[in-house]
Amino acid sequence: MLMVKKQWQQHLQPTANKVSDLLKTPLFDAHVALGGKIVPFAGYELPVQYKDGALKEYTAVRDGEAGIFDITHMGQVRVEGVDALKFLQYVTTNDVSKLVDGQVQYSALLNEQGTFIDDITTYKINDEAYYLCINAANRLKDVTHLNAEAANFDVSVTDESDETTLLALQGAKAQAALQTIADFDLEAIGYYKFARGKIASAGGIISRTGYTGEDGFEIYIPNSIAVEVWDALLAQGAVPIGLAARDMLRTEMGYALYGHEISDAVTPVEAKLMWITKLAKGDFIGKQAVETRKEEGAQKRLIALKLTGRGIPREHYKVFVDGVESGEVTSGMHSPLAGGGVAVAYVKPEHVTDGTLTVEIRGKQIEAERTTTPFVRSNVRR
Amino acid sequence: MSVPTDLKFTKEHEWVRIEGDTATFGISDHAQEALGDLVFVELPEVGRNIDAGEAYGVIESVKAVSDVYAPVGGEVIEINETLESEADLVNSDAYGAGWIIKVKISDNNADTDLMNPEEYTEFLND
Repeated sequence: MLMVKKQWQQHLQPTANKVSDLLKTPLFDAHVALGGKIVPFAGYELPVQYKDGALKEYTAVRDGEAGIFDITHMGQVRVEGVDALKFLQYVTTNDVSKLVDGQVQYSALLNEQGTFIDDITTYKINDEAYYLCINAANRLKDVTHLNAEAANFDVSVTDESDETTLLALQGAKAQAALQTIADFDLEAIGYYKFARGKIASAGGIISRTGYTGEDGFEIYIPNSIAVEVWDALLAQGAVPIGLAARDMLRTEMGYALYGHEISDAVTPVEAKLMWITKLAKGDFIGKQAVETRKEEGAQKRLIALKLTGRGIPREHYKVFVDGVESGEVTSGMHSPLAGGGVAVAYVKPEHVTDGTLTVEIRGKQIEAERTTTPFVRSNVRR
Repeated sequence: MSVPTDLKFTKEHEWVRIEGDTATFGISDHAQEALGDLVFVELPEVGRNIDAGEAYGVIESVKAVSDVYAPVGGEVIEINETLESEADLVNSDAYGAGWIIKVKISDNNADTDLMNPEEYTEFLND
């Protein structure tokens, strides 16, 4: 009956099937020292939880503490050159021309079929310098794609992932804790804005972004100060948070995760991500395919649901409408705050608003109702 | 956590306490620790007959779904309904308040394949 680790191994990269192939972040020893239960995730050895367990970690972030997450597995790509804006307008879906210096934008990389290579965030440093944060599992694919497309532009694409440690500090106490080691005013950083400057003994980037629905920051620093920053934030009372609680926090917000809601099998039309896909901005990779899909109509669409019966709707569980199979759950959980099972699921377009919903759990149809995301209140600073 | 001496264990990390013809089932402290925070328990109906080794219920942690198997066969006579709202009792008190069901034993040689606490501890260390 012990299958805890199995749930996480599906995220392994094909190139990292053996333990010996897995990478460690500069904080690996710190995770082990804190009682972290280490599992393979996106090619890295990362803590799924620490000694007090995922629920306490989740509660710390939701109930006014500051949770600290090692998300160094995520990738960073610097894009520089006179064509940087033109290049990013062509390879990403969102309108990069709308960004001011110091602003962050949620966006995506599509292929010519209009389906997702990855979802990303774009940081504008200045007109000729941008910084992309990409998913760990997609890193090689993304960098190969960006390099191939960059050949037609006057830009350089530099993968800085191996030199960069990425931490997230999330929760009501995040700003006060982080301010003790940042040499610049964090209060001045608005939602989806960032600043660069001295952090602990070196330089880095701090953005007011995150994946939890709480106020907080993501912190990009060189590996050389990873342990120093981690220890300093723990000393400020930050609670270390593992992958399980991170997934609870993001699922409760309804935030998309590559490999679940989005993949190379869906376009932004299905994934409810047309808000980051700006068809009017000019040509970009995948635009034509997305326009066609929009005209023809999606074959499935994402909905949010809450079980009215008992149970936990989990990924790949089948969703039925009026007794007929309509789709499946992409992310689901037992939400402590919503007080039951919640999920996002793909269903046939005609079932987005109509018909009685049930989720099949171990052969039984459990009733559900449509709802909206986030499943619980968001405390991000608007 | 110390293991109560009146329990027997399966290789699937279930425990059973046999008192006369009644058996109480639960999962071991090692099992709850490995599964992590439990958030959901699905219990069988009272009156259901279950065979030794049969999956009689489901426990779910934050990330994992696991069947629980009957250490001995019998008829379900009581279920721990408190777990339906407080699954975490299995985490906090695996051998006490975290018991799962009670059965009336149907097999007289029920416990022959089970391990005593010393054998189970040794099994865990192997």
